[in-house]
Amino acid sequence: MRRMNVEKHYYLMLLPGMVWLVLFSIVPMAGIVMAFQNYNPGAGLLKSPWVGLDNFRYMFQLSDSRTVIVNTFIIAIGKIVLNLIIPLVFAILLNELRHLRFKKLVQTVAYLPHFLSWVIMATIVIGIFGYYGVVNTVLGMFGVSPQLFMADAGIFRQLLVGTDVWKEFGYNAIIYLAALTGINLNLYEAAAIDGASRWQLIRNVTLPAMTTTVVLLGVLSLGNVLNAGFDQVYNLYNPLVYSTGDILDTWVYRLGLQNLQFSLATAAGLFKSAISFVLIVVSYRLAYRYADYTVF
Amino acid sequence: MKRTMATMLAAFMLGLSLTACSSSNSTNTDAQAPAESSGPALSGDDLAFYRFPEPVDVHIGMPVDPTDKTLPAGDSVSNNQYTRYLKEKYNINVIVDWTAATGNDFKQKVSLTIASGKLPDGMVVDDRSFMTKAASSGLLYDITDLFQQYQSTQVKDIMESTGGRAMDNASYKGRMVSLPNITVDTDGVHLLWIRKDWLDKLGLPVPKTLADIEKTAQAFKDGKLGGANTIGIAGPSKNTFPYATFLTSSNNLGGFDPLFGAKDAYPGYWLDNGDGSVTYGTLTEQTKETLATLADWYKKGLIDPEAGTRDNVGDPINANQTGIFFGPWWSGGYGNGDSFKNDPTANWQAYPVYTDDGKWNAHMKTTGSTYTLISKNAKPDVVKAILIMNNALVRDEATFDLSVAVGWYPLRNVMAAANETEYEYAELLKVLKGETQAEDYNVPNSLYKLMYADAKKVKDVIKPPYDELNVSNFNTANFGDFQRLYSLLIGDRPFSTVPIDKKVFSVTYNQTPTMETKWANLKKLEDETVLKIILGQAPIDSFDKFVKDWKAQGGDEITAEVAELLKK
Amino acid sequence: MVQSKTFGSRAFDGANYVLLALLLFSCLYPLWYTFCVSISDKAAANAGLVTIYPIGFSLASYKEILGDALFFNSFWISIQRTVLGTGLSLFVSVLMAYPLARPSREFRLRNVFMWILVFCMLFSGGLIPWYLTVQSYGLINSIWALVLAGGLPVFNVILIMNFFRNLPKELNEAAVVDGAGPWAILFRVYLPCSIPVLAAVALFIGVYHWNEFFNGLVLMNTSDKYPLQTYIQQLVVNIPTGTNLTPDQYKKLSELSNRTLNSAKVFIAMVPMLIVYPFLQKYFVSGIMLGAVKE
Repeated sequence: MRRMNVEKHYYLMLLPGMVWLVLFSIVPMAGIVMAFQNYNPGAGLLKSPWVGLDNFRYMFQLSDSRTVIVNTFIIAIGKIVLNLIIPLVFAILLNELRHLRFKKLVQTVAYLPHFLSWVIMATIVIGIFGYYGVVNTVLGMFGVSPQLFMADAGIFRQLLVGTDVWKEFGYNAIIYLAALTGINLNLYEAAAIDGASRWQLIRNVTLPAMTTTVVLLGVLSLGNVLNAGFDQVYNLYNPLVYSTGDILDTWVYRLGLQNLQFSLATAAGLFKSAISFVLIVVSYRLAYRYADYTVF
Repeated sequence: MKRTMATMLAAFMLGLSLTACSSSNSTNTDAQAPAESSGPALSGDDLAFYRFPEPVDVHIGMPVDPTDKTLPAGDSVSNNQYTRYLKEKYNINVIVDWTAATGNDFKQKVSLTIASGKLPDGMVVDDRSFMTKAASSGLLYDITDLFQQYQSTQVKDIMESTGGRAMDNASYKGRMVSLPNITVDTDGVHLLWIRKDWLDKLGLPVPKTLADIEKTAQAFKDGKLGGANTIGIAGPSKNTFPYATFLTSSNNLGGFDPLFGAKDAYPGYWLDNGDGSVTYGTLTEQTKETLATLADWYKKGLIDPEAGTRDNVGDPINANQTGIFFGPWWSGGYGNGDSFKNDPTANWQAYPVYTDDGKWNAHMKTTGSTYTLISKNAKPDVVKAILIMNNALVRDEATFDLSVAVGWYPLRNVMAAANETEYEYAELLKVLKGETQAEDYNVPNSLYKLMYADAKKVKDVIKPPYDELNVSNFNTANFGDFQRLYSLLIGDRPFSTVPIDKKVFSVTYNQTPTMETKWANLKKLEDETVLKIILGQAPIDSFDKFVKDWKAQGGDEITAEVAELLKK
Repeated sequence: MVQSKTFGSRAFDGANYVLLALLLFSCLYPLWYTFCVSISDKAAANAGLVTIYPIGFSLASYKEILGDALFFNSFWISIQRTVLGTGLSLFVSVLMAYPLARPSREFRLRNVFMWILVFCMLFSGGLIPWYLTVQSYGLINSIWALVLAGGLPVFNVILIMNFFRNLPKELNEAAVVDGAGPWAILFRVYLPCSIPVLAAVALFIGVYHWNEFFNGLVLMNTSDKYPLQTYIQQLVVNIPTGTNLTPDQYKKLSELSNRTLNSAKVFIAMVPMLIVYPFLQKYFVSGIMLGAVKE
């Protein structure tokens, strides 16, 4: 009896959030039918003609779809891997600092770029890597002729990954720094007594202690292999680098909002959503089974 | 807060049926509304400039230039000298439903409006595919009959000056569903713009052929005439293209159109082979050769190293870093105003580029490429109001105070007689030489709507001698007037005085059915290949692979469709 | 820690200091660079001459911004959006997190709701259906679209829920014995213990709302409704597609680019973040820990 009573309050507590979810997440999902229609804005969702899987078939015929899927994978995986490694290195180096105020300063400042939007970062990146940007001015001092970094399809992916890692390395290091403080100091002392050098300490004590964290974070980021970062790419790319820099999200955006291919765009978006969903479920399962880690 | 939540819940219930209601709306008005008009028994220009007894609200969507500074303080997009003029003279209330920055943002807004099927009463789009998509979805008002009733004589004359091309352009399946944009033919004829003062400084003649231009660009660069960072030849920006194409066949500032023409190449145009077949101009051997030349120039550092990536075509030109660029008649004067501000001696002159055997070849444009769309759900009075707004703009544009950019005029979609600039060039010279007087042009509702205003001010702006006009002849005190007259008298001189040896028209300036799904992809393939070849990021041989890919990915299919058009 | 002062160790320390100092510089430089450009001479800035110190000195940009009503307007909209969005999200998330933190024997449908939440977090209907929905609610051009249309940040609910679950069970039991109902337990017992996680979540939501530009672009109809990031984006990043402009439109577009002015705007847009985040540092650090690594 009491339980019924209490549960009533629980439903009440869930109500506002559920309304929000229904209004802005679940209702729009009805629009997914568009992917199986030839959507005609004049007729609306209910009266547009059905075309089955035609949009998906056509999508895979386009050479663009292959390009953007490949690009998305390469860029996203590049980011995932480097965003695991670089922050780890940074955290370890930071941990080796003994000047505490300097350590605190570096830490605080390293978090900074994470808090700035890609709109702002893009203007800065262009200011630095543009033709009349800082990098070219500096290269010019060494007699190197200016390079077109922002328009060179050969290096655009590296630029994306690089700027992303630079923006996030400090922030991503937070978890590692916490894990580092959790390492038993006795282990270091024992090793030091055995005459281990600093490098050996890092290799034989620090790194092994960090393995679980790294693996866990790696597994959990599996769901991101189709997320190459819309905000970043949208604010940085141009037609010259589509061949290497165009990703699923920007492609979907252009199909829908520049080329008026509403159904095709929705189909491509659905494709991405579905794959990501599966990957995330898999990653959660893996994390649970091997690290006994539950997300919820 | 509570109330919002409640209304949102209600909206959610409605939301389940989503666009169902909007679709029923549009079918309701399917009946031909235009015929029964609440208007008075007027005709001709009385009807075309009719003042509504009751205010008429016109809802519009509008592109806005976020950097514009010409609007006086206190004025806004929906309350400025142009909207007040419409209110006073015609009792039209302009209500701006939405705005977006010119360019991609505006396109995005238009896409969303079309996707939701809820068009404002009127909006001007800059891509024909937007018009056809809206028309094929049944979102547009059939203005065929109302336009016949409500067009002013001026508008009628202008439409006729295109020989039916403008009407075709504005129609979908034989019905007129938009107001076309009609621009002067010269907008599509691209010229060599060069700093004559730099030529004189180096004692060089005006270059005529590609070889001449190469030498001149090298000389400008070697002489560092534009400072340490002198650029030989300006190129396209990241959003413009190396050449105009059949879909956007004019106003390509910073492209290389005249260079292609001088090699008898017409990339981006559908060429009639004369035997019932058509060729897409980009695929020809001549285009390949021209690309090889451009790549060679780029490698030699003669072309702007930032070509294809700049934000803005005009930057190096306005900064006087370069002495050579290509563009239509208005690109010197209107197009590079800051160049004159930064260097009053910048003597930009316009010339054709010739083939090695001295011929001037030019590709020609379509009538216009922007469209005023009117919503199917607009009331007949609103449609009439929009037609009247267009008539009024055509008649009165010359009388407006242009210190407020005329881009603020609601639903501005330019209509000009196709030969307006040539006419003005010839007549303005007559005024200057005293052969005619400004008052001779005081003809109300003239087809050449800006002529009288220009004739009145031409002598204030241009000082004698009139035989050979240089920048030193011009007075820049009223900068707007200076720009207009400079463009007319310098920029339009070649087209008005030098006969074009070969005018090339595209077989079509519109999309065929297959293009609606496949063109975006082919165009992308083409743009990438061309730009990469020019910038040396791909070898010239990649051109052959491009031709093969282009044909395989739908190009052959589309070529067949275009050839069909020839038969009609 | 025992230190062996060998040469290698000292060399390592030296290199480490240099490396981290360089990183420090790399994170501060963009800020400094933007600032330098914003106070430099216009011509020098446009020519790309500014690298590590301002060239010339001019406050013209800042003076111009002072007279730019749209800029301040968008700044104000961003503040409203951030405050409303953060407050509302936080409140709703806390309410949701509490029942979900109950074990399923106490709340039978707990797992069903959990799955709905996760499904919503991972799956979306796509841009165009989403736009049509928001439009059908009549929210286009309203601040509530900015606040609500991004959806409920489910991840934050999970974060708070995890925090609640880790609170000692005795807290709950004692309160029940005292006769407190669920609302009293949540607000009088749980919340006072949860300040760190609430602060962290508030920061996450606040940063999202402050930095988000795309919804502003899509859902707002006029530039006087744009939040700050959208305002900057359309000014700095959106470039007109140039081929069929009319001459007089073109005339204006050809004006020299405004690097100094734009830099000044970007710099001002960064300031609120610079001021806020160092103070919240300890909270977001603990917040991330809650989200990622549990015991």
